[in-house]
Amino acid sequence: MMEDILYAQPGWTHVAIFFALGAALLMTVLGFVTYAILAERKVLGFMQMRTGPNRVGGRFGLLQTVADVFKLLIKEDTIPKLADRPLFILAPVIAFAPAFMVLATIPFSENMQFADLGVGLLYYVAISGISTIGILMGGWASNNKYSLLGGMRAAAQMISYEIPLVISVIGVILFAGSLNLNDIVRGQENIAYIFLTPIGFFVFLISSIAELNRTPFDLPEAESELVAGYHVEYSGFRWAFFMLTEYVYLFAMASLTTVLFLGGWMPIPFLGFIPGMLWFGLKFSLVVFFMIWIRGTLPRLRADQLMGFAWKVLLPLALLNIFVSAAVKELFL
Amino acid sequence: MTGEMIAFFLLALTAITGGVLLINLTNVVHMVVALIFTFIAIAGIYITLSAEFVAVVQVLIYSGAITIIMLFGIMLTRHQEKEKRAPRLKIILTGLAIGLFFLIMYGKIKDLNFGQQDVELHVDNTKKIGIELYSHYVIPFELTSVLLLVALIGSIILAKRADDEKEAKK
Repeated sequence: MMEDILYAQPGWTHVAIFFALGAALLMTVLGFVTYAILAERKVLGFMQMRTGPNRVGGRFGLLQTVADVFKLLIKEDTIPKLADRPLFILAPVIAFAPAFMVLATIPFSENMQFADLGVGLLYYVAISGISTIGILMGGWASNNKYSLLGGMRAAAQMISYEIPLVISVIGVILFAGSLNLNDIVRGQENIAYIFLTPIGFFVFLISSIAELNRTPFDLPEAESELVAGYHVEYSGFRWAFFMLTEYVYLFAMASLTTVLFLGGWMPIPFLGFIPGMLWFGLKFSLVVFFMIWIRGTLPRLRADQLMGFAWKVLLPLALLNIFVSAAVKELFL
Repeated sequence: MTGEMIAFFLLALTAITGGVLLINLTNVVHMVVALIFTFIAIAGIYITLSAEFVAVVQVLIYSGAITIIMLFGIMLTRHQEKEKRAPRLKIILTGLAIGLFFLIMYGKIKDLNFGQQDVELHVDNTKKIGIELYSHYVIPFELTSVLLLVALIGSIILAKRADDEKEAKK
């Protein structure tokens, strides 16, 4: 369905259709973010033997996040007097826009993809790097020592972990012989790449958690040392945008993990009668649950261990993975 | 006017605006942000030329890595200082030199001829670049990688030596 529209003669109808579809995706993502936050609080609650939110919206707290967001929207929007005003306003925009842009290239099912890019995987990596600038900018523009420290930490961490992240997917690219995410999913028809490059998957998963700034890598916003990191001075809607960025990236990264390693919309053998979209959703939810599980289980890393871990453990492992993957491809496939 | 033209004009406008702002702003961090807009707009122009791989690498290396390194350098050093305006004579002389440069470049670019354009350029763009790099240009490619490796190791050694001296002083 999308293919036809993408390759058809352009016209205003198509612009309208794409606009509507884009808006629909945005709504889906916002819905995901709303319930991912609730799910995170619920799961963390159960792991710590509490019940989690259970007041607003029935027994399961279904409207808790809606109420929280509403509170943020009607909150006063403060900008510190000594902040760098234009950058302070621009920073949340620059942080959020790439988070939504990367979703364009992810194939949710056979027919559901917004842009079938030849360099889809590189596109994701490149565009998501721009968010770092937004975070760094926000930290600097606040003119606050804690937020500058948080911004610096975030940028250093995101750059350092981007390198093992990119190198770990080279194994997948070797097997698929393409950077196109559609081709990568089609290459997993018989066997998912998680079984072919387990080391790559391991490195990718750890670096993706670090890229998302989630526990145990949430040093940029370590509340016990930095108050709240790069967004200390932000309030109301602007702060909500930084949070939204984080959760949209969670959505994007979980989708990417599903596509690269878990076979995207491809069904598990003998269960082909279940539609592809549903398979994607199942695998995607599994990844998201795993991220929440990790958050509930592991304590935060120390700042000095963080960089060493990326450069001395993950990078050599990722390089080893390229070697092993090439050998596996030559010998067994 | 085709959609490609509109896209080109918007991107070119953004690139030029970024460049002009880069020159005219006084705060160094603002300058870098203007530069990011120029880099991203240029990546967009590459896409209109069907060079998607180059465009993505442009965003990855220039807008992502290089500007962040620049921002780091600026923020961790004296970022409060503002640039002073240059004397008038210098501005006029520079303007004249740039005008001359523009005239020469424009004259030459107008006569430039690339010959027959490849129509199939956008098909398997990345693959073609890879094949060219590893067949025709393999020696320059390998030499570049060796050069980069030397730079990497050299910088590590330089940084390490500074640390050792500090500890020796203690």
